[in-house]
Amino acid sequence: MQDAAETVSAVLAAPLDEAGLIRAAQKGDQDAFERLVRAYDHSVLRIAMNLLRSPEEARDVYQEAFLKVYRNLHAFRFDCSFHTWLYRIVTNICLDHLRRRKVRKEESTVVDTGEGIVDRVAQLEEGAPHANPERQMWNRELAGRIGGALESLTPRERTVFELRHYEGLRLRAIGEMIGTTEEAAKNCLFRATQKMRASLEAFV
Amino acid sequence: MNCAETIRQIPLYCYGEVSSEVEERIESHLAECAVCSAELTHHRAFLDLLNKREDVTEASMLASCRSELRTAISSQSVPAGQSWLDRKWMDGLRSFSGLHIRFRIPVGAMALVGLGFFAARYTPERFGGMRSGLAEPMFSSVRSVEDQSGKVHIAVDEVRRHVVTGSLQDPRIQELLVTAVREESNPGVRVESIGMLRNSTDSEEVRNALLDALNHDPNPGVRLKAIEGLKSWAGNVAVRRTLANVLLKDDNPGVRVQAIDLLTTHHDDSIVGVLQDVVQKEDNNYIRTRSIKLLEEMKASVGTY
Repeated sequence: MQDAAETVSAVLAAPLDEAGLIRAAQKGDQDAFERLVRAYDHSVLRIAMNLLRSPEEARDVYQEAFLKVYRNLHAFRFDCSFHTWLYRIVTNICLDHLRRRKVRKEESTVVDTGEGIVDRVAQLEEGAPHANPERQMWNRELAGRIGGALESLTPRERTVFELRHYEGLRLRAIGEMIGTTEEAAKNCLFRATQKMRASLEAFV
Repeated sequence: MNCAETIRQIPLYCYGEVSSEVEERIESHLAECAVCSAELTHHRAFLDLLNKREDVTEASMLASCRSELRTAISSQSVPAGQSWLDRKWMDGLRSFSGLHIRFRIPVGAMALVGLGFFAARYTPERFGGMRSGLAEPMFSSVRSVEDQSGKVHIAVDEVRRHVVTGSLQDPRIQELLVTAVREESNPGVRVESIGMLRNSTDSEEVRNALLDALNHDPNPGVRLKAIEGLKSWAGNVAVRRTLANVLLKDDNPGVRVQAIDLLTTHHDDSIVGVLQDVVQKEDNNYIRTRSIKLLEEMKASVGTY
Protein backbone atom coordinates (compact mmCIF):
# COMPACT_ATOMS: atom_id res chain seq x y z
CA MET A 1 0.00 0.00 0.00
CA GLN A 2 3.05 2.16 0.27
CA ASP A 3 2.86 2.10 -3.53
CA ALA A 4 -0.35 4.10 -3.34
CA ALA A 5 1.33 6.88 -1.43
CA GLU A 6 4.22 6.79 -3.84
CA THR A 7 1.83 6.99 -6.78
CA VAL A 8 0.19 10.09 -5.34
CA SER A 9 3.56 11.67 -4.63
CA ALA A 10 4.75 10.77 -8.12
CA VAL A 11 1.67 12.31 -9.67
CA LEU A 12 2.09 15.42 -7.59
CA ALA A 13 5.73 15.71 -8.57
CA ALA A 14 5.30 14.70 -12.21
CA PRO A 15 6.85 17.06 -14.74
CA LEU A 16 3.42 17.68 -16.22
CA ASP A 17 2.67 21.22 -17.27
CA GLU A 18 -0.37 21.12 -15.08
CA ALA A 19 -1.06 24.84 -15.14
CA GLY A 20 -0.82 24.79 -18.95
CA LEU A 21 -3.22 21.85 -19.12
CA ILE A 22 -5.67 23.54 -16.77
CA ARG A 23 -5.60 26.76 -18.81
CA ALA A 24 -6.10 24.81 -22.02
CA ALA A 25 -8.97 22.83 -20.48
CA GLN A 26 -10.50 26.08 -19.22
CA LYS A 27 -10.59 27.24 -22.85
CA GLY A 28 -12.45 24.08 -23.81
CA ASP A 29 -9.56 21.83 -24.91
CA GLN A 30 -10.99 18.33 -24.33
CA ASP A 31 -7.63 16.56 -24.76
CA ALA A 32 -6.10 18.71 -22.03
CA PHE A 33 -9.04 17.90 -19.76
CA GLU A 34 -8.63 14.19 -20.44
CA ARG A 35 -4.91 14.36 -19.62
CA LEU A 36 -5.75 16.05 -16.34
CA VAL A 37 -8.28 13.32 -15.56
CA ARG A 38 -5.77 10.60 -16.36
CA ALA A 39 -3.14 12.16 -14.13
CA TYR A 40 -5.38 11.78 -11.09
CA ASP A 41 -8.20 9.39 -11.78
CA HIS A 42 -6.59 6.23 -10.45
CA SER A 43 -6.01 7.94 -7.11
CA VAL A 44 -9.56 9.31 -7.13
CA LEU A 45 -11.07 5.90 -7.76
CA ARG A 46 -8.85 4.27 -5.14
CA ILE A 47 -9.78 6.86 -2.50
CA ALA A 48 -13.47 6.46 -3.28
CA MET A 49 -13.23 2.68 -3.27
CA ASN A 50 -11.28 2.51 -0.02
CA LEU A 51 -13.50 5.01 1.74
CA LEU A 52 -16.82 3.65 0.59
CA ARG A 53 -15.99 -0.04 0.05
CA SER A 54 -18.59 -0.15 -2.70
CA PRO A 55 -17.68 -0.35 -6.40
CA GLU A 56 -21.01 1.19 -7.43
CA GLU A 57 -20.61 4.16 -5.12
CA ALA A 58 -16.94 4.55 -6.06
CA ARG A 59 -17.95 4.77 -9.73
CA ASP A 60 -20.58 7.37 -8.84
CA VAL A 61 -18.02 9.40 -6.90
CA TYR A 62 -15.55 9.19 -9.80
CA GLN A 63 -18.12 10.44 -12.26
CA GLU A 64 -19.62 13.10 -9.98
CA ALA A 65 -16.19 14.44 -9.03
CA PHE A 66 -14.84 14.78 -12.55
CA LEU A 67 -18.11 16.22 -13.86
CA LYS A 68 -17.93 18.80 -11.08
CA VAL A 69 -14.36 19.58 -12.11
CA TYR A 70 -15.45 19.84 -15.75
CA ARG A 71 -18.33 22.18 -14.92
CA ASN A 72 -16.38 24.37 -12.53
CA LEU A 73 -12.91 24.38 -14.03
CA HIS A 74 -13.57 27.79 -15.58
CA ALA A 75 -13.85 29.16 -12.02
CA PHE A 76 -10.58 27.58 -10.84
CA ARG A 77 -8.29 30.51 -10.06
CA PHE A 78 -5.11 28.73 -8.94
CA ASP A 79 -5.74 29.88 -5.33
CA CYS A 80 -4.71 26.38 -4.27
CA SER A 81 -3.09 23.51 -6.12
CA PHE A 82 -5.27 21.56 -8.53
CA HIS A 83 -4.83 18.31 -6.61
CA THR A 84 -5.98 19.97 -3.37
CA TRP A 85 -9.04 21.31 -5.19
CA LEU A 86 -9.78 17.95 -6.81
CA TYR A 87 -9.26 15.94 -3.63
CA ARG A 88 -11.44 18.41 -1.75
CA ILE A 89 -14.22 17.69 -4.22
CA VAL A 90 -13.65 13.94 -3.97
CA THR A 91 -13.46 13.80 -0.18
CA ASN A 92 -16.53 15.98 0.18
CA ILE A 93 -18.54 13.71 -2.10
CA CYS A 94 -17.27 10.64 -0.22
CA LEU A 95 -18.08 12.24 3.13
CA ASP A 96 -21.61 12.98 1.89
CA HIS A 97 -21.99 9.34 0.84
CA LEU A 98 -20.71 8.10 4.20
CA ARG A 99 -22.98 10.44 6.15
CA ARG A 100 -26.01 9.56 4.06
CA ARG A 101 -25.18 5.92 4.59
CA LYS A 102 -24.98 6.52 8.33
CA VAL A 103 -28.37 8.24 8.32
CA ARG A 104 -29.95 5.51 6.21
CA LYS A 105 -28.07 2.84 8.20
CA GLU A 106 -27.26 1.10 4.94
CA GLU A 107 -26.06 -2.44 4.85
CA SER A 108 -22.38 -2.71 5.67
CA THR A 109 -19.93 -4.08 3.11
CA VAL A 110 -18.37 -5.99 5.97
CA VAL A 111 -20.34 -9.04 7.04
CA ASP A 112 -19.80 -11.67 9.69
CA THR A 113 -20.28 -15.01 7.94
CA GLY A 114 -20.00 -17.03 11.15
CA GLU A 115 -16.61 -18.29 9.92
CA GLY A 116 -15.03 -14.90 10.17
CA ILE A 117 -15.54 -11.32 9.08
CA VAL A 118 -15.52 -10.78 5.34
CA ASP A 119 -15.42 -7.56 3.35
CA ARG A 120 -17.55 -8.08 0.27
CA VAL A 121 -15.39 -5.63 -1.66
CA ALA A 122 -12.36 -7.81 -1.11
CA GLN A 123 -14.27 -10.60 -2.87
CA LEU A 124 -13.80 -8.63 -6.07
CA GLU A 125 -10.26 -9.96 -6.26
CA GLU A 126 -11.53 -13.50 -6.39
CA GLY A 127 -11.98 -13.44 -10.13
CA ALA A 128 -8.38 -12.43 -10.80
CA PRO A 129 -6.83 -15.41 -12.65
CA HIS A 130 -3.28 -14.82 -11.38
CA ALA A 131 -4.16 -14.92 -7.69
CA ASN A 132 -2.87 -17.53 -5.28
CA PRO A 133 -5.76 -19.11 -3.25
CA GLU A 134 -4.00 -18.94 0.13
CA ARG A 135 -2.92 -15.39 -0.42
CA GLN A 136 -6.45 -14.54 -1.53
CA MET A 137 -7.88 -16.01 1.66
CA TRP A 138 -5.40 -14.05 3.81
CA ASN A 139 -6.11 -10.87 1.88
CA ARG A 140 -9.84 -11.34 2.26
CA GLU A 141 -9.57 -11.97 5.96
CA LEU A 142 -7.27 -9.02 6.50
CA ALA A 143 -9.32 -6.72 4.27
CA GLY A 144 -12.41 -7.83 6.21
CA ARG A 145 -10.80 -6.99 9.54
CA ILE A 146 -9.45 -3.67 8.33
CA GLY A 147 -12.79 -2.87 6.68
CA GLY A 148 -14.58 -3.69 9.96
CA ALA A 149 -12.16 -1.50 11.90
CA LEU A 150 -12.63 1.38 9.44
CA GLU A 151 -16.37 1.16 9.85
CA SER A 152 -15.99 1.90 13.54
CA LEU A 153 -14.62 5.34 12.63
CA THR A 154 -16.70 8.45 12.04
CA PRO A 155 -16.83 9.55 8.36
CA ARG A 156 -14.38 12.35 9.13
CA GLU A 157 -11.93 10.11 11.02
CA ARG A 158 -12.11 7.56 8.24
CA THR A 159 -11.38 10.16 5.59
CA VAL A 160 -8.42 11.62 7.47
CA PHE A 161 -7.06 8.15 8.17
CA GLU A 162 -7.38 6.97 4.56
CA LEU A 163 -5.80 10.11 3.16
CA ARG A 164 -2.93 10.10 5.66
CA HIS A 165 -2.17 6.42 5.93
CA TYR A 166 -3.04 5.05 2.51
CA GLU A 167 -2.62 8.09 0.27
CA GLY A 168 0.36 9.54 2.11
CA LEU A 169 -0.99 13.10 2.15
CA ARG A 170 0.20 15.54 4.80
CA LEU A 171 -2.23 16.51 7.56
CA ARG A 172 -1.99 20.18 6.58
CA ALA A 173 -3.22 19.34 3.07
CA ILE A 174 -5.90 17.01 4.44
CA GLY A 175 -7.14 19.77 6.75
CA GLU A 176 -7.37 22.09 3.76
CA MET A 177 -9.30 19.48 1.81
CA ILE A 178 -11.88 18.74 4.45
CA GLY A 179 -12.17 22.35 5.56
CA THR A 180 -10.50 22.16 8.93
CA THR A 181 -7.20 23.01 10.58
CA GLU A 182 -4.08 20.89 10.66
CA GLU A 183 -4.54 20.60 14.42
CA ALA A 184 -8.10 19.30 14.10
CA ALA A 185 -6.95 16.82 11.42
CA LYS A 186 -4.20 15.71 13.82
CA ASN A 187 -6.75 15.07 16.57
CA CYS A 188 -8.89 13.18 14.11
CA LEU A 189 -5.96 10.99 13.00
CA PHE A 190 -5.05 10.31 16.61
CA ARG A 191 -8.59 9.17 17.46
CA ALA A 192 -8.74 7.07 14.28
CA THR A 193 -5.46 5.24 14.94
CA GLN A 194 -6.51 4.55 18.53
CA LYS A 195 -9.77 2.99 17.37
CA MET A 196 -8.11 1.06 14.54
CA ARG A 197 -5.48 -0.35 16.85
CA ALA A 198 -8.08 -1.37 19.38
CA SER A 199 -10.03 -3.21 16.65
CA LEU A 200 -6.99 -4.92 15.13
CA GLU A 201 -5.00 -5.64 18.28
CA ALA A 202 -5.44 -9.38 17.95
CA PHE A 203 -3.77 -9.36 14.52
CA VAL A 204 -0.70 -7.34 15.47
CA MET B 1 9.00 14.13 27.91
CA ASN B 2 7.36 11.48 30.09
CA CYS B 3 6.01 8.06 29.08
CA ALA B 4 2.35 9.14 28.81
CA GLU B 5 3.21 12.02 26.54
CA THR B 6 5.55 9.88 24.41
CA ILE B 7 2.93 7.15 23.94
CA ARG B 8 0.38 9.78 22.98
CA GLN B 9 2.75 11.20 20.35
CA ILE B 10 3.88 7.89 18.84
CA PRO B 11 1.15 7.61 16.14
CA LEU B 12 1.86 11.13 14.88
CA TYR B 13 5.63 10.55 15.23
CA CYS B 14 5.38 7.47 13.00
CA TYR B 15 3.64 9.57 10.33
CA GLY B 16 6.28 12.29 10.62
CA GLU B 17 3.62 14.73 11.77
CA VAL B 18 5.34 16.17 14.84
CA SER B 19 7.59 19.20 14.95
CA SER B 20 11.35 18.65 14.93
CA GLU B 21 11.49 19.78 18.54
CA VAL B 22 8.90 17.20 19.65
CA GLU B 23 10.64 14.59 17.52
CA GLU B 24 13.92 15.18 19.33
CA ARG B 25 12.23 14.97 22.72
CA ILE B 26 10.49 11.71 21.76
CA GLU B 27 13.74 10.22 20.50
CA SER B 28 15.70 11.13 23.60
CA HIS B 29 12.95 9.58 25.76
CA LEU B 30 12.87 6.44 23.61
CA ALA B 31 16.62 6.05 23.95
CA GLU B 32 16.17 5.69 27.71
CA CYS B 33 12.79 3.96 28.01
CA ALA B 34 12.36 0.29 27.10
CA VAL B 35 8.57 0.38 27.65
CA CYS B 36 8.03 3.22 25.18
CA SER B 37 10.46 1.66 22.69
CA ALA B 38 8.41 -1.54 22.83
CA GLU B 39 5.27 0.51 22.26
CA LEU B 40 6.89 2.10 19.18
CA THR B 41 7.79 -1.35 17.80
CA HIS B 42 4.25 -2.54 18.43
CA HIS B 43 2.75 0.50 16.73
CA ARG B 44 5.02 0.01 13.70
CA ALA B 45 3.86 -3.62 13.48
CA PHE B 46 0.27 -2.33 13.47
CA LEU B 47 1.08 0.09 10.62
CA ASP B 48 2.79 -2.71 8.67
CA LEU B 49 -0.33 -4.80 9.06
CA LEU B 50 -2.44 -1.98 7.62
CA ASN B 51 -0.04 -1.74 4.68
CA LYS B 52 -0.82 -5.31 3.71
CA ARG B 53 -4.28 -4.30 2.53
CA GLU B 54 -4.25 -4.48 -1.25
CA ASP B 55 -5.55 -2.02 -3.78
CA VAL B 56 -8.96 -3.30 -4.89
CA THR B 57 -9.37 -1.03 -7.89
CA GLU B 58 -8.82 -2.90 -11.11
CA ALA B 59 -7.69 -1.65 -14.49
CA SER B 60 -10.99 -2.75 -16.04
CA MET B 61 -12.95 -0.71 -13.51
CA LEU B 62 -10.84 2.36 -14.21
CA ALA B 63 -11.26 1.89 -17.96
CA SER B 64 -15.04 1.65 -17.67
CA CYS B 65 -15.15 4.72 -15.38
CA ARG B 66 -13.16 6.68 -17.99
CA SER B 67 -15.47 5.58 -20.76
CA GLU B 68 -18.60 6.52 -18.75
CA LEU B 69 -17.08 9.90 -17.95
CA ARG B 70 -16.29 10.54 -21.62
CA THR B 71 -19.90 9.73 -22.53
CA ALA B 72 -21.26 11.98 -19.77
CA ILE B 73 -19.02 14.86 -20.85
CA SER B 74 -19.84 14.54 -24.52
CA SER B 75 -23.55 14.66 -23.62
CA GLN B 76 -22.93 18.01 -21.90
CA SER B 77 -22.42 19.51 -25.41
CA VAL B 78 -20.70 22.66 -24.23
CA PRO B 79 -16.98 23.13 -23.67
CA ALA B 80 -15.52 23.36 -20.18
CA GLY B 81 -14.60 27.00 -20.69
CA GLN B 82 -18.19 28.06 -21.13
CA SER B 83 -19.87 29.50 -18.09
CA TRP B 84 -22.60 27.61 -16.28
CA LEU B 85 -24.88 30.57 -16.94
CA ASP B 86 -24.57 29.92 -20.68
CA ARG B 87 -25.02 26.24 -20.04
CA LYS B 88 -28.23 26.86 -18.12
CA TRP B 89 -29.56 28.70 -21.13
CA MET B 90 -28.63 25.72 -23.28
CA ASP B 91 -30.30 23.39 -20.79
CA GLY B 92 -33.35 25.61 -20.87
CA LEU B 93 -33.49 25.41 -24.64
CA ARG B 94 -33.02 21.66 -24.50
CA SER B 95 -35.77 21.23 -21.92
CA PHE B 96 -38.10 23.18 -24.19
CA SER B 97 -37.95 20.31 -26.68
CA GLY B 98 -39.21 18.05 -23.92
CA LEU B 99 -42.44 20.04 -23.46
CA HIS B 100 -45.72 18.53 -24.51
CA ILE B 101 -46.82 19.68 -27.97
CA ARG B 102 -49.93 21.34 -26.45
CA PHE B 103 -47.65 23.73 -24.55
CA ARG B 104 -45.00 24.02 -27.22
CA ILE B 105 -47.22 25.84 -29.70
CA PRO B 106 -48.23 28.83 -27.54
CA VAL B 107 -44.78 29.01 -25.91
CA GLY B 108 -43.17 28.89 -29.34
CA ALA B 109 -45.47 31.62 -30.61
CA MET B 110 -44.58 33.84 -27.67
CA ALA B 111 -40.89 33.17 -28.25
CA LEU B 112 -41.24 34.26 -31.87
CA VAL B 113 -42.98 37.50 -30.80
CA GLY B 114 -40.15 38.11 -28.34
CA LEU B 115 -37.54 37.30 -30.95
CA GLY B 116 -39.14 39.77 -33.36
CA PHE B 117 -39.19 42.46 -30.67
CA PHE B 118 -35.54 42.00 -29.78
CA ALA B 119 -34.48 41.66 -33.42
CA ALA B 120 -36.13 45.03 -34.10
CA ARG B 121 -34.37 46.62 -31.13
CA TYR B 122 -30.96 45.37 -32.10
CA THR B 123 -31.12 45.66 -35.89
CA PRO B 124 -28.94 48.55 -37.06
CA GLU B 125 -30.82 51.73 -37.93
CA ARG B 126 -29.98 51.58 -41.61
CA PHE B 127 -31.99 48.38 -41.84
CA GLY B 128 -34.95 50.16 -40.38
CA GLY B 129 -34.53 48.79 -36.88
CA MET B 130 -35.12 50.66 -33.64
CA ARG B 131 -31.84 51.92 -32.22
CA SER B 132 -31.58 51.26 -28.51
CA GLY B 133 -29.63 53.63 -26.32
CA LEU B 134 -29.27 50.83 -23.81
CA ALA B 135 -27.30 48.79 -26.31
CA GLU B 136 -24.54 51.38 -26.66
CA PRO B 137 -21.17 49.87 -25.79
CA MET B 138 -20.05 50.67 -22.25
CA PHE B 139 -16.54 49.55 -22.90
CA SER B 140 -14.72 48.36 -25.96
CA SER B 141 -11.23 47.29 -26.85
CA VAL B 142 -9.70 46.58 -30.22
CA ARG B 143 -8.35 43.04 -30.43
CA SER B 144 -6.89 43.14 -33.94
CA VAL B 145 -6.73 45.25 -37.10
CA GLU B 146 -6.20 43.85 -40.55
CA ASP B 147 -6.08 45.37 -44.02
CA GLN B 148 -7.42 42.93 -46.60
CA SER B 149 -6.97 44.54 -50.03
CA GLY B 150 -8.27 47.91 -48.96
CA LYS B 151 -10.97 46.57 -46.62
CA VAL B 152 -10.09 47.06 -43.01
CA HIS B 153 -11.22 44.36 -40.54
CA ILE B 154 -11.21 45.43 -36.93
CA ALA B 155 -12.04 42.92 -34.19
CA VAL B 156 -13.61 44.75 -31.25
CA ASP B 157 -14.59 43.30 -27.87
CA GLU B 158 -17.53 45.22 -26.44
CA VAL B 159 -19.31 45.21 -23.13
CA ARG B 160 -22.88 46.45 -23.28
CA ARG B 161 -25.38 47.16 -20.53
CA HIS B 162 -28.98 46.13 -20.69
CA VAL B 163 -31.65 45.85 -18.05
CA VAL B 164 -33.22 42.51 -17.29
CA THR B 165 -36.52 42.60 -15.42
CA GLY B 166 -38.33 39.72 -13.78
CA SER B 167 -39.59 38.25 -10.54
CA LEU B 168 -37.33 36.74 -7.90
CA GLN B 169 -38.75 33.33 -8.80
CA ASP B 170 -37.59 33.70 -12.39
CA PRO B 171 -34.64 31.28 -12.80
CA ARG B 172 -32.85 33.70 -15.12
CA ILE B 173 -33.11 36.49 -12.54
CA GLN B 174 -31.79 34.10 -9.89
CA GLU B 175 -28.86 33.15 -12.10
CA LEU B 176 -27.98 36.79 -12.68
CA LEU B 177 -28.22 37.47 -8.95
CA VAL B 178 -25.90 34.53 -8.29
CA THR B 179 -23.46 36.05 -10.76
CA ALA B 180 -23.83 39.38 -8.96
CA VAL B 181 -22.92 37.73 -5.63
CA ARG B 182 -19.51 37.14 -7.23
CA GLU B 183 -19.25 40.66 -8.65
CA GLU B 184 -15.81 41.66 -7.48
CA SER B 185 -15.88 45.42 -7.83
CA ASN B 186 -19.00 46.34 -5.89
CA PRO B 187 -19.72 45.00 -2.36
CA GLY B 188 -23.04 46.91 -2.34
CA VAL B 189 -24.24 44.85 -5.31
CA ARG B 190 -23.12 41.68 -3.55
CA VAL B 191 -24.97 42.55 -0.30
CA GLU B 192 -28.16 43.47 -2.19
CA SER B 193 -28.00 40.33 -4.31
CA ILE B 194 -27.54 38.05 -1.30
CA GLY B 195 -30.46 39.79 0.42
CA MET B 196 -32.67 39.10 -2.60
CA LEU B 197 -31.58 35.48 -2.81
CA ARG B 198 -32.24 34.65 0.86
CA ASN B 199 -35.58 33.02 0.05
CA SER B 200 -34.19 31.02 -2.87
CA THR B 201 -31.68 28.91 -0.96
CA ASP B 202 -33.48 25.70 -1.95
CA SER B 203 -31.42 25.98 -5.10
CA GLU B 204 -27.99 24.41 -4.77
CA GLU B 205 -26.47 27.05 -7.07
CA VAL B 206 -27.75 29.80 -4.77
CA ARG B 207 -26.46 28.03 -1.67
CA ASN B 208 -23.08 27.49 -3.25
CA ALA B 209 -22.85 31.17 -4.17
CA LEU B 210 -23.67 32.12 -0.57
CA LEU B 211 -21.16 29.61 0.78
CA ASP B 212 -18.56 30.95 -1.59
CA ALA B 213 -19.27 34.49 -0.41
CA LEU B 214 -19.10 33.40 3.23
CA ASN B 215 -15.79 31.67 2.66
CA HIS B 216 -14.03 34.11 0.38
CA ASP B 217 -15.66 37.52 0.18
CA PRO B 218 -13.22 40.17 1.44
CA ASN B 219 -16.04 42.33 2.80
CA PRO B 220 -17.36 41.34 6.29
CA GLY B 221 -20.75 42.92 5.53
CA VAL B 222 -21.16 40.54 2.61
CA ARG B 223 -20.08 37.58 4.73
CA LEU B 224 -22.59 38.49 7.46
CA LYS B 225 -25.33 38.77 4.86
CA ALA B 226 -24.38 35.35 3.52
CA ILE B 227 -24.67 33.81 7.02
CA GLU B 228 -28.10 35.39 7.36
CA GLY B 229 -29.12 33.90 4.02
CA LEU B 230 -28.01 30.42 5.11
CA LYS B 231 -29.88 30.42 8.44
CA SER B 232 -32.45 27.86 7.40
CA TRP B 233 -29.67 25.51 6.25
CA ALA B 234 -27.80 25.24 9.54
CA GLY B 235 -28.13 21.44 9.46
CA ASN B 236 -26.70 21.06 5.96
CA VAL B 237 -23.27 19.39 5.81
CA ALA B 238 -21.69 21.85 3.36
CA VAL B 239 -23.07 24.82 5.30
CA ARG B 240 -21.77 23.43 8.59
CA ARG B 241 -18.37 22.78 7.08
CA THR B 242 -18.16 26.35 5.84
CA LEU B 243 -19.37 27.75 9.16
CA ALA B 244 -16.71 25.71 10.97
CA ASN B 245 -14.08 27.07 8.61
CA VAL B 246 -15.31 30.62 9.17
CA LEU B 247 -15.30 30.09 12.91
CA LEU B 248 -11.67 29.05 12.81
CA LYS B 249 -10.34 31.38 10.15
CA ASP B 250 -12.43 34.51 9.71
CA ASP B 251 -10.60 37.56 11.04
CA ASN B 252 -13.80 39.42 11.88
CA PRO B 253 -15.19 38.61 15.37
CA GLY B 254 -18.71 39.71 14.33
CA VAL B 255 -18.72 37.13 11.56
CA ARG B 256 -17.33 34.46 13.92
CA VAL B 257 -20.04 35.22 16.50
CA GLN B 258 -22.75 34.78 13.87
CA ALA B 259 -21.05 31.60 12.66
CA ILE B 260 -20.95 29.97 16.10
CA ASP B 261 -24.54 31.01 16.83
CA LEU B 262 -25.74 29.35 13.66
CA LEU B 263 -23.44 26.35 13.87
CA THR B 264 -24.62 25.48 17.35
CA THR B 265 -28.32 25.47 16.55
CA HIS B 266 -27.64 21.81 15.66
CA HIS B 267 -25.55 19.59 17.91
CA ASP B 268 -23.52 16.92 16.18
CA ASP B 269 -20.18 15.24 16.75
CA SER B 270 -18.60 16.79 13.70
CA ILE B 271 -18.28 20.14 15.42
CA VAL B 272 -16.50 18.81 18.49
CA GLY B 273 -13.01 19.10 16.97
CA VAL B 274 -13.75 22.61 15.73
CA LEU B 275 -15.06 23.75 19.10
CA GLN B 276 -12.00 22.29 20.82
CA ASP B 277 -9.80 24.24 18.44
CA VAL B 278 -11.80 27.39 19.10
CA VAL B 279 -11.32 26.99 22.84
CA GLN B 280 -7.56 26.80 22.26
CA LYS B 281 -7.17 29.66 19.83
CA GLU B 282 -10.08 32.10 20.06
CA ASP B 283 -9.39 35.57 21.53
CA ASN B 284 -13.02 36.56 21.78
CA ASN B 285 -14.43 35.72 25.22
CA TYR B 286 -18.02 35.28 24.06
CA ILE B 287 -17.06 32.76 21.39
CA ARG B 288 -14.69 30.87 23.69
CA THR B 289 -17.21 30.68 26.52
CA ARG B 290 -19.93 29.60 24.16
CA SER B 291 -17.69 26.86 22.75
CA ILE B 292 -16.82 25.55 26.23
CA LYS B 293 -20.50 25.54 27.22
CA LEU B 294 -21.44 23.64 24.09
CA LEU B 295 -18.69 21.08 24.53
CA GLU B 296 -19.88 20.51 28.08
CA GLU B 297 -23.48 20.16 26.91
CA MET B 298 -22.33 17.61 24.33
CA LYS B 299 -20.35 15.83 27.07
CA ALA B 300 -17.17 16.28 25.01
CA SER B 301 -13.74 17.05 26.34
CA VAL B 302 -12.90 20.76 26.38
CA GLY B 303 -9.19 20.17 25.78
CA THR B 304 -7.53 18.54 22.80
CA TYR B 305 -4.93 15.81 22.67
